[in-house]
Amino acid sequence: MDLIQTLLDGLMVGGLYATVAIGVTLVFGIMGILNFAHGQMVMLGAYTAFFVVSAGFGFWPALVIAMFAMGTLGLLLERIVFRYTLTDHMQGLTASLGVIMVIEHLAAAAFTPDPRNFEPPLQGSFQVAGLTLSSQRMLVLALVVVLVVACYLFLQKTRIGKAIRAMGQNRTGAALVGIQTSQVTAVVFVLGSAMAGAAGVLYGSLFAITPYMAAGPLMKGFILTVLGGLGSVPGAVVAGFLLGIAESLGSRYLSASFRDGYGFILLIIALLYFPRGLFGQRGKVRV
Amino acid sequence: MEAVPEADAPRARQGLRQRFAHAVPWLGWAVLALLLVAPMLVGGRYIVYLGTLIALQAALAVSLNIVMGYAGQFAMSHAAFYGIGAYASAILVATVGLNFWLAVPLAMLGAGVLAALVGYPALRYTGGVHLALITFAFGELARLVAANWDSLTGGPMGMRVTYAPGSFFGIELSSAKGLYWLAAGMLLVCLLVTAAIQRSRFGRALVAVREDETLASFLGINVVGHKLAAYVISSMLAAMVGCAYGPTMNFISPDLLSAHETISLIGVLILGGIGTIAGPIIGTIIFFGLPEMLRVARLWRLVVLGIIIVVVVLLMPQGIAGVLRQRLERWKRGGR
Repeated sequence: MDLIQTLLDGLMVGGLYATVAIGVTLVFGIMGILNFAHGQMVMLGAYTAFFVVSAGFGFWPALVIAMFAMGTLGLLLERIVFRYTLTDHMQGLTASLGVIMVIEHLAAAAFTPDPRNFEPPLQGSFQVAGLTLSSQRMLVLALVVVLVVACYLFLQKTRIGKAIRAMGQNRTGAALVGIQTSQVTAVVFVLGSAMAGAAGVLYGSLFAITPYMAAGPLMKGFILTVLGGLGSVPGAVVAGFLLGIAESLGSRYLSASFRDGYGFILLIIALLYFPRGLFGQRGKVRV
Repeated sequence: MEAVPEADAPRARQGLRQRFAHAVPWLGWAVLALLLVAPMLVGGRYIVYLGTLIALQAALAVSLNIVMGYAGQFAMSHAAFYGIGAYASAILVATVGLNFWLAVPLAMLGAGVLAALVGYPALRYTGGVHLALITFAFGELARLVAANWDSLTGGPMGMRVTYAPGSFFGIELSSAKGLYWLAAGMLLVCLLVTAAIQRSRFGRALVAVREDETLASFLGINVVGHKLAAYVISSMLAAMVGCAYGPTMNFISPDLLSAHETISLIGVLILGGIGTIAGPIIGTIIFFGLPEMLRVARLWRLVVLGIIIVVVVLLMPQGIAGVLRQRLERWKRGGR
């Protein structure tokens, strides 16, 4: 019973990680922009939700507004900065570090470093077959599943989703068959940022919100992108749930204070023995 | 008959220009020596303290330049090794009771082993992306360990440092001025290591790896070995500089290891000019020196720093020293 409870807790946290990881996968795995400022989008998404909920509009409008706001911010960043760094990983990474400094310090000044919370839509917990389940955590898990499925269908079934996948395989080839690569890049950035915003709202409904909360989710998002195989959305999702379960088991049965360390160990093992990740199709280049 | 053909005059001028251009690096070293001595001459206690901090930051930037500038690998763990050096030396001196000068090489050795363990899995692959990811994760992990291992590191509240480094071959280092010379000495060590690498076969191989890993492997260069060596050397130097941090600040906290410190170091490198010897120092002086003189609030300094990073990356990726070098090359060949 204890084991099942731990596994369920792991699934819920894993769902959050998966949401961040999808955004990273889209922007980094497919477009090749290593955007470290993704974590800041999660943070801003959480703050947006905090302010909208505090203003009395409730959780659902907050979710929509946060996704929309972060999508807009993503579009701005893409147009102003990242469209010029498409050809160079390192340049994009450095630019994103600059963006982090600007966003984080402005956020710390505007929002104060005090931790914030907002009222989640569901409270309390319920019992199923002897297991205690927090209602809000179940809602988060359900929302994650909806977001993941929607994102997956969008990529698989729509015309622009196909264009995105084609660009992920070969940018030049995609441009040759008539895909507007510049516009598709913008769409991917908006989509990834909106997912980050949604992840932020879900994070904020469970944990405290601070201007410095970005590093944790970002680190896990990157770990999952590599674990799942660069550019693979299902890989990132499965890896997210696995990491959540691993952390939950690890902190239950090994040590809780090194909770964040288990993902790092998984990352090292993956890089050593499974460099393609769970669902990666492309082999890694080695010299 | 006039003996001098017309074409010789420009050539003579070009020879002069070339000789002058060759002197520029030496001029740079002379300016650096002046800058290093200046706080001693000006005197004030605050100036000396400020000089110590800037020298430490410059030493960090110079050592990060080895792995980022010459080997072209993106290491996000530099501040972590800086902090690891600070914690390790403080623990070795205060808790174990070793001599400071014995603690420094031990801290460096520990950092080197850690760097090899973290770097090897990531550096086996082409392109620096994996190293950036794994070192970012490692830095966060190191910060968490420092914040959670209360019994050894004092936890999130940090650790008080009360010892002073012992005298170094008769030079007394416990005073404020002594600590300044310690920091300046570490900066010089980092610079000399960089200069030695730049002039060596190893350094040229690193540049070849940075430019094209596949091509470098065709030249018989052990690509993974070279990248790993650069990362380990750079991390060991960071740990060395970290050893001077504790006695200078009298206090070490887990924040020292945070990714932000690495990010601002990367900003310094980009602004100053990555892959040049003078770049990290120029960058450090601009980032930490000027705002200090202008007395801008820390918050706005960091925001402006972020904007500068983005603008420089987009418009002037070679940095100030890179632009200066380009200008000098053109001028040497007779252009303006």
